[in-house]
Amino acid sequence: MEATKTAVKPAAAAIAVRDLTFAYAAAPVLQDVSFGLEKRAVGLLGPNGSGKTTLLRALLGHLPLKRGTVTVMGCDMARDPRGARRRIGWMPERGGILPGMSGVAMVAYLGELGGMPPTDALQRAHEVLNYVGLADERYREADTYSQGMRQRLKLAQALVHDPDWLLLDEPTSGLDPRGRVSMLELMRDLAANKGFGVILSTHLLADVREVCQEILVLRQGRLLSHGRVEVAPPGATAQFLVEGFGDEPAFLAALQAAGLAAARRERLLEITAPADAGARLVLAAASASGFALRRLQPRRETLEDLFYQLVDDADDARSKD
Amino acid sequence: MPVYERGYRPWEHSGHRARAPWWTIARRGITEPLKSRRLLFLLAVAWVPAIVKGGILYFTFQMGELSRLIGGKWTDIGPRGFLAYLGWQSPFVLILLAIIGSGLISRDRRENGLALYLSRPLGVRDYVLGKGAVIMFYYFAVTLLPVWALCLFGYLVTSGATGMQMLLLIPLQALAYCVVTGAGFTLVLLALSSIGQRTVFVALWWVLLYAGTDGLAEIMSLFSPGLQILNFPGQFLNAGIVFFGGEPLSEVPPAASLLVVLAYTALGAWVLRRRIKPVEVVA
Repeated sequence: MEATKTAVKPAAAAIAVRDLTFAYAAAPVLQDVSFGLEKRAVGLLGPNGSGKTTLLRALLGHLPLKRGTVTVMGCDMARDPRGARRRIGWMPERGGILPGMSGVAMVAYLGELGGMPPTDALQRAHEVLNYVGLADERYREADTYSQGMRQRLKLAQALVHDPDWLLLDEPTSGLDPRGRVSMLELMRDLAANKGFGVILSTHLLADVREVCQEILVLRQGRLLSHGRVEVAPPGATAQFLVEGFGDEPAFLAALQAAGLAAARRERLLEITAPADAGARLVLAAASASGFALRRLQPRRETLEDLFYQLVDDADDARSKD
Repeated sequence: MPVYERGYRPWEHSGHRARAPWWTIARRGITEPLKSRRLLFLLAVAWVPAIVKGGILYFTFQMGELSRLIGGKWTDIGPRGFLAYLGWQSPFVLILLAIIGSGLISRDRRENGLALYLSRPLGVRDYVLGKGAVIMFYYFAVTLLPVWALCLFGYLVTSGATGMQMLLLIPLQALAYCVVTGAGFTLVLLALSSIGQRTVFVALWWVLLYAGTDGLAEIMSLFSPGLQILNFPGQFLNAGIVFFGGEPLSEVPPAASLLVVLAYTALGAWVLRRRIKPVEVVA
């Protein structure tokens, strides 16, 4: 195994999008989208047709914008598109394999087009193909690659010119479970250890949870939410679902005495308690009141809950309008 | 091997200069087809008329007026003879450009490669220039280069000043003619390639435009000689009179043919301008 050094790029403020508006003919696809991103892994979430791919295309400067600006690492996409694109590596969802070339030839060619001298591009092509796990297949015609290999090749071509940001459009699409795990591992490594900013566009919430620290949620071309995917901080509350039998009023009184709020939810009691000590306090209250617990289940608010809540809220607001 | 064991190294610039993007595209497009033996064979065959013409040049300069007894355009070593030679190359231009040019953009469009190119720091002009240079290279390989080689051969074998004088301007005339017609062929073929996604259909359209209009114009000119203007390759050849001089090759004035060539060129550029986009916006 060859020894390689791992370098972390300096963090820098990175992508700024302001009032981005784009329409296909009369149909608006992006409306007044504004956000700023630090260089980290960001999940771009949204149902099909919400404008995720269009937003990525706008970040690449591929769209004639009606209004708005995109700045990548200080380069305004409208004024200096070449400078901005030099800092971006894009992995498309559809196609993205140049026909009639071997893997290494394709990556080196796109490296040259990314502004690298030919010798550097060829050397980098070998390195990034090794990194994505295609070292043994690099001389094979890319047309003959399997779906998993194609996805890794597309990631390699996005990496070859050493950009600051990677825009990945559905990178795990069409992969088998093992291929998906491998791709997620690569993305996590790039964002967490190699200092790349990553925008991961997907409709798979699990992929975002695995890789990203931040999410952008799009719905019908509008930005619904932009926030961090966080583990509950100290002092945060959590919900517990409790089922049991015995003296329920006494149990509720014990819970109240311990400062915990409880509410009935069909057969279950939903108890709100501190996230770090909640289970211990519920057990103590049950013990004190002689209430026999059959079930004590922490109810975590998942990314899925958040996503569906945001989308439902947006739908409700729209129907009220 | 796990990811953390493979490692990743940021790019350390070697200090060498990067190539211009259009040249990177052109270089790849030119060298890739040369790996095909069939194409090399076709290129070799396309030089056979030049070898024959070289032999005629030799005998003309050696035997003087005697060679004129053989007669015909073959023994004409003046500008008209060279234009006639470029006319004989027409079938090779048709086949070679169909093979080389029809897939240049259509393949990229089919594989979403156009967006991949334009996600790099290069513009539409670089892309078109690079792809166009590929067609121009192969066009020159069977037209301009043989003419230049013949002129060089002529300078070497001629003993008198008359021969030198006859050949003196031909390289420049051929350059001007080949640049104008080459640009026309290139932009028309690229435009066809940008419209289709299947290479075979693009090639078919090219053959129809090139050979089909030739045949059609022959029939139509029975009714009106002016309808020769419909002959696509015929107009390109007739425009050569503007550069090489002499009598028109058809009823269409050479200046009108040149305008037709320029119109084809402009049309090709207009189509390319509309078609070469990273994203196809469908209304």
